[in-house]
Amino acid sequence: MSGSGRTFRALLRKDIVLELRSRELVPAMSAFVLATFVLFRFGLGGAHLAGGTRAAVGLFWVGMVFMATLGLMRTFAAERESRLWDGILSAPIDRAWVWAARTCATLAFLVVVQVAALPVFWLLFLQDGPSPSFWVLIAALVLADLGLAALGALVAGLASAVRAREVLLPVLYLPFSIPLVLVAVSLTVHTIPPQTSGFGVAQRLGFLALYDTLFGLLGWALFEYVLED
Amino acid sequence: MSRANGARIDRASAAAATAAALMTLALVLVVFYVPTDVGDGYRQRIFYFHVPIAITTYALFGWGALNAARFLWKGDPSLDLRSYVPMHLGTIFGTLTLITGSIWAHASWGTWWDWSSTELNTFLIIFLFYCAYFMLRFSVEPGEKRARYSAVYAILGVGLIPVSVLAVHLGQDIIHPIVFTRHGANMDNSMLFTFLVNLAAMLSLAYAMYEVEMRGKRLDERLAQIRRLAGGAA
Amino acid sequence: MSSSEALLCAGLVRRYGHRTALDGVDLRVERGETVVLTGANGAGKTTLLRVLATVLRPTSGRVVVEGHALPAAARAARPLVGYAGHEPLVYPALTARENLDLYAALFGVEPDAVPRALDRVGLAPRGTDRVSEFSRGMLQRLSLARATLHRPQVLLLDEPSSGLDAGGSALLDELLAETGRTVVIATHDPERFDAAARRLLIDAGRVSG
Repeated sequence: MSGSGRTFRALLRKDIVLELRSRELVPAMSAFVLATFVLFRFGLGGAHLAGGTRAAVGLFWVGMVFMATLGLMRTFAAERESRLWDGILSAPIDRAWVWAARTCATLAFLVVVQVAALPVFWLLFLQDGPSPSFWVLIAALVLADLGLAALGALVAGLASAVRAREVLLPVLYLPFSIPLVLVAVSLTVHTIPPQTSGFGVAQRLGFLALYDTLFGLLGWALFEYVLED
Repeated sequence: MSRANGARIDRASAAAATAAALMTLALVLVVFYVPTDVGDGYRQRIFYFHVPIAITTYALFGWGALNAARFLWKGDPSLDLRSYVPMHLGTIFGTLTLITGSIWAHASWGTWWDWSSTELNTFLIIFLFYCAYFMLRFSVEPGEKRARYSAVYAILGVGLIPVSVLAVHLGQDIIHPIVFTRHGANMDNSMLFTFLVNLAAMLSLAYAMYEVEMRGKRLDERLAQIRRLAGGAA
Repeated sequence: MSSSEALLCAGLVRRYGHRTALDGVDLRVERGETVVLTGANGAGKTTLLRVLATVLRPTSGRVVVEGHALPAAARAARPLVGYAGHEPLVYPALTARENLDLYAALFGVEPDAVPRALDRVGLAPRGTDRVSEFSRGMLQRLSLARATLHRPQVLLLDEPSSGLDAGGSALLDELLAETGRTVVIATHDPERFDAAARRLLIDAGRVSG
């Protein structure tokens, strides 16, 4: 068990240190999110927000998924570029740890970008109108990020060994994000006043947790099949 | 041609004959036998096609995913084909489900696509998933790796089905009356009989298509094998 | 079949899509033996080493590494095999020390072994430098340190002598002189290695003596 813990820590440390040195992902994801928000703001009618904050919240979640997809495109890039998989694969480890470390690293990157993105979102969309519940939004974000990262690490593993991977990754990934966005949007939008009664926030947060659990288990079990050529 | 191949041809022909007979019977029942729905009128009859096609699609996807899991477990290459072919047919039946569902939505609610219909929307998500499955499959060279990658993604799809059903229900504000409960509870015997015959017809059609396609794929594979042997000898 | 063999391939086939890289390889390497494998580019040298290193699954045929049949028992075979690939298999953005620390964790080697390994290949003073700044010869030495960090019984070397500097060359000879270890070397330059080693030729995916 301590051996597995050491494996996991070493792999996670490697992923984080590589990002800290290359600064490849987080700045690009942040710039992308910012540009997307501005684009959405003008798309929703510049001066007067068409559809109000409800439409904006929907676009926020779509922006989060696109941002995650962009980040995933570079997942395992270091390993691909100089055949480094051969080194990792020749090690006597449970390969699920590679997946787990990558999931945690992606989760960390998403959270860092969102910490910067949320105030910008508030400035651009929410300061004139009613806002969704902040705490519900945070809870939904954390749960959704976990699901996006867990599934993303697996799908990025699949796409990384395939022709035209940059094109294929969104194709493989986006169908899975639809249920997540659907529930996250309905959850967040319903906390915007005036609230409709009888709406289950706990139920929807529960769904997000279920999503994380399900794809977490599938990612853990299936990852060992996606690495080898 | 070997005796084993002869047996397969017979099975495919028998399945095709059964499917043809059941399809004819089903069509006759829908057009001449089943009573017209009191509320929706004649157009409600598309229900007898739409729902069995949808069930067949799910059955094909389930069968494909089951064989995908068996492939990962056992590594038998023939299981890859037995996973791919149901997926392929499932996508064809899935397209039919979307088309008949859309016609039905137009007949019942006056729109070609009803965004509050949980059933149609769930199906749309799953359909997108299976399109992605084919994109993945055609991006990898044939062989063990393609089989493994397809299997992994097919199994993920099994997770997506319940998640989509739940999400679409949770994401709806007003849940539209779902068809099956509307008819299922108070379907009279003649309606139920027609429905079941249609279901049997669709399932047997899918099975016949499965056998025929498997036969074609096996021939392709043998041809490739013979080519390899010929190439090796030269 | 005796238990003296370290590596055994029987009818090993490996395909990439429709291309056949290994077309029925039969190979038997005794414990402690050194085998030098030569052949043209694309003949299958690297593919064979990668299969033996458990990073590539055989399409068909039998492969046994130190008594463990691949691919089913690959995980039991992995601690016993060291693989130095054509590429150095280290992260350019990490330091030499960080790379070896990572592999020490993956192979369950105690952390103290890392400075010793760096010292042995003469990279101790450069341990905290990023690998991207290393010369080809230094990379080769680091690659050897990485492949032998867990003291494997079987060593698989892909083109170990190309780009090697004088220090690395002496190090390679020292490694090969250690008795008891099974070594398979894939190379363009068989004359570089001990004349006593068994020479094998790989051509169009088949091995001949």
